[in-house]
Amino acid sequence: MKRVVLQLLRRPATATAAGFVLAIGVIAVLAPALAPYDPLTQDYARTLEGPSADHLLGTDYLGRDVLSRLVFGARVAAQASLQTVSIALLIGVPLGLIAGYRSGWWDRVMMRLLDVADAIPGLVLAFAVIAVLGTGLTNAMIAVSIIFSMNFMRLSRALALGERERLYVDAARTSGLTQRNILLRQILPNMAAPLIVQSTIFMGTALLIEAALSFLGLGLETGSASWGGMLSGSTRWQFQQPFLPWPPGLAITLTVLAFNVLGDGVRDVLAGGTRDRTPRRRPRVRARRAAAQPSLAQLPDDDVPLDVRGLSVAFPGEDGDVEVVSEVSIRVRRGEALGLVGESGSGKTMTGRAVLGILPAGGAVTAGSIHVDGAQIVGRDEAALNDVRGSRVAMVFQDPMVALSPVHTIGRQVGQAVRNHAPTLSRADVRRRCVELLEMVRIADPEARLGDYPHQFSGGMAQRIVIALALASNPSVLIADEPTTALDVTTQQEILDMLTDLKQRLGTAIVLITHDLGVVADACDRAAVMYAGQVVEEAAVDDLFAAPRHPYTRALLAAMPTGAGGDDRLPTIPGRVPPMTALAPGCRFAPRCAVRTDACDAAPVELGAGVRCLHAGAAWQAGDAAHERRSQVQ
Amino acid sequence: MLGRLVGLRLLGVVPQLALVSALVFALTYLVPGSPAAVLLGSRATPEGIAALEARLGLDRPVWVQFQDWVSGVARGDLGTSWYGGREVTDVIGQHLLPTVCLIVGGTIVAVTLGLSAGVLAALRQGGIVDRVVGVITAAGIAVPSFWLGLLLLSLFAVQLGWLPVLSWTPPDRDLGAWARGLVLPSLAAGAAGAAIIARHSRSAMLEALEAPYVQTLRAIGTPRRTIVLRYAIKNAMTPILTVVAFQVSTLIAASFVIEQVFTMPGIGSELINAVARKDIPVVQGITLVVALAVIVIYLVADIGYAIVNPRARPQ
Repeated sequence: MKRVVLQLLRRPATATAAGFVLAIGVIAVLAPALAPYDPLTQDYARTLEGPSADHLLGTDYLGRDVLSRLVFGARVAAQASLQTVSIALLIGVPLGLIAGYRSGWWDRVMMRLLDVADAIPGLVLAFAVIAVLGTGLTNAMIAVSIIFSMNFMRLSRALALGERERLYVDAARTSGLTQRNILLRQILPNMAAPLIVQSTIFMGTALLIEAALSFLGLGLETGSASWGGMLSGSTRWQFQQPFLPWPPGLAITLTVLAFNVLGDGVRDVLAGGTRDRTPRRRPRVRARRAAAQPSLAQLPDDDVPLDVRGLSVAFPGEDGDVEVVSEVSIRVRRGEALGLVGESGSGKTMTGRAVLGILPAGGAVTAGSIHVDGAQIVGRDEAALNDVRGSRVAMVFQDPMVALSPVHTIGRQVGQAVRNHAPTLSRADVRRRCVELLEMVRIADPEARLGDYPHQFSGGMAQRIVIALALASNPSVLIADEPTTALDVTTQQEILDMLTDLKQRLGTAIVLITHDLGVVADACDRAAVMYAGQVVEEAAVDDLFAAPRHPYTRALLAAMPTGAGGDDRLPTIPGRVPPMTALAPGCRFAPRCAVRTDACDAAPVELGAGVRCLHAGAAWQAGDAAHERRSQVQ
Repeated sequence: MLGRLVGLRLLGVVPQLALVSALVFALTYLVPGSPAAVLLGSRATPEGIAALEARLGLDRPVWVQFQDWVSGVARGDLGTSWYGGREVTDVIGQHLLPTVCLIVGGTIVAVTLGLSAGVLAALRQGGIVDRVVGVITAAGIAVPSFWLGLLLLSLFAVQLGWLPVLSWTPPDRDLGAWARGLVLPSLAAGAAGAAIIARHSRSAMLEALEAPYVQTLRAIGTPRRTIVLRYAIKNAMTPILTVVAFQVSTLIAASFVIEQVFTMPGIGSELINAVARKDIPVVQGITLVVALAVIVIYLVADIGYAIVNPRARPQ
């Protein structure tokens, strides 16, 4: 609670709003002491005056002091908004709780009631209530309470339904708490936050409705000092005294604004919301180091469509830039599949996205070069990148069910991929190409399925379509980011087989990003193992499995479920991937490493002969042992 | 397929309509004491009350009155006013046009301003446009609509003289004057809705632009313009439509208030007079018509929803 309040006060807008609401409350309580005049005393000698020394905000059409009326109006405002919202809470929350918690016919009755409430706008319902009960603030506020209580009912019903699903209520039920106890002790506290947010916003809304009803002559008796009454009273005289509507108008507007800002602030803080804040600063591009700069002699050849050298990617952080990819170099030949392996947070996905220039907001390449088909990617503008994306390099993402727009047909989206790089193609040609692509990824009856939407496909089928999208313009490089992780095992194999087949048929260079060494063994020719943003080992897949040289690779292999199950439990790598802001000074794997020595911590370890380890030799020995074990298994 | 959806929804509307009309009918009996006593006020005598009740038909059993009322409603007969004996349907019919014009105008303002401001703010997230839209929408939600109307009136009509002070001209008399007269009332009525729609479309748009399929589209080289105009906006429409439907239904009530500011001869003034003098049949009739309009608005929104979102279509 204290933490929430502190967080609220740290947001300037929320703190100001809270201060304003508090001030209105204090003014309401101390009104008689604060107001310079009696709010009802009339002075016919001085009507409709502008601001002056005795009347700081002037006088109204009966010569009453506007400031005093404004101060007393705060009382009406505070009373009206507190009353309506608390009555609404008292009616709506219990009804909603019962409906949500008990369900059954209770719930059906309540839902029908809500249907009716939905059909009649709040203000019209207020009119009906006033028609029945007569004019006056209390009646008006009863009407508003009814409207708000419907809303609270809906909210608490939904919340109670949600909470009911949760395990702890079941646990409480079996442990023999009475139903009332469950409602009061378990569910209500969890509903507090959304109810507070809604109540705050409703307090403002109550003021607006009160003002509207007063304006229509259906609210307060005209004499008494309410902001709504003052505003509506003054509008009749606004041509004689244009200043008159401003004090009550601004009082209402600012108070409602304060309530809304406060409500939004509470919601954001409770939601942990810094969601809206995007980093505007981009990471500083390092002076490109000599090592990272490809010399002319090394320039890529035709056979290597993807050539990444010394790539570093950084994001702006609280204390300076955070490097998530450090000097990664990978080369992939035509028709070759490179596995980019690592745990989550190892930088493998960011490496892949950097190749397409689609880093998340704030991210930037800070060093190195990326050549696709011999053309430099780093530093190109969006338009130039768009020419490359899809046509030379494309990407397939993890979860196919969200990788396609749910409200567009498959034909539309595959067609988009085709047209992006062949804008002059006729409609019929685009369609023909779409059918061809779906056939290529083995979708049955492609003609008919072009009109279907993504939700009509299974995960595996959807992933095939995403692959069709990616291959629409024959890219030389395909980056597949965990393309099978979201799929079930049999479907995984189909997708991997398809990728291998496409690689051989079309000669596409594939980068397969995965955490699963089984996938690497299945579908890759070479593998680069990444740890904490660095490539720690790179080798042909056979060599990597037979003789891992880096302790991390060995640990990964040891942690791989082999299926033969000699051990009782799955071995795991002790410790976890370090956050990129707290890396070890020397070898980044040292804190988790079994063969670590003092030398490992002394200085960063460079990549030499395909491995980034001072003890690569020693690792060889242990690797042999692992290899033997694996061979036995096979 | 859409026909099926409409059919399903209409089936759901029937009990809703029945309940609404029962509630509206019950209004008469919720008046404390006898409505006749209230109508007669201080002049009420027991004989007078009895005579008036007989004249208004209030002395019959409740269920007979209800049957009478329901069959009347079904035939399009909403009863007669307690004052002057005018047919309620006539009262509504004669004042419908200005109100409908205002609601349509307000909806156009709310949807066009709200959508474009929200989408623009989302595309320039964190930039100057986004901040300006943020401030304007916050103020737009907080300002009382009738005051905004008065400010617009005094600025654009009285001081600058760009638009007429008198807002309502029947369209068959002078089409130009009719259109010019509607500008300010529509702005005042639609402002709050525009602000709320802007906020929701901004967040819906931000969400759509962050969605994974946008990455897919980018990865195949789709220009940002196309991503925004063809894909993100259509995806954002799903959440926006719900808000729009709610705002339009709120706009009906808001237009009743705005009519008073611009002295438009719409349903609002009839309703407010009727409320003030407890002319229950008129209140009932107008409430019922409003409820019907709201139900139709939600129906249309649901159909729009199914057009935009294939998952919302009945399979």
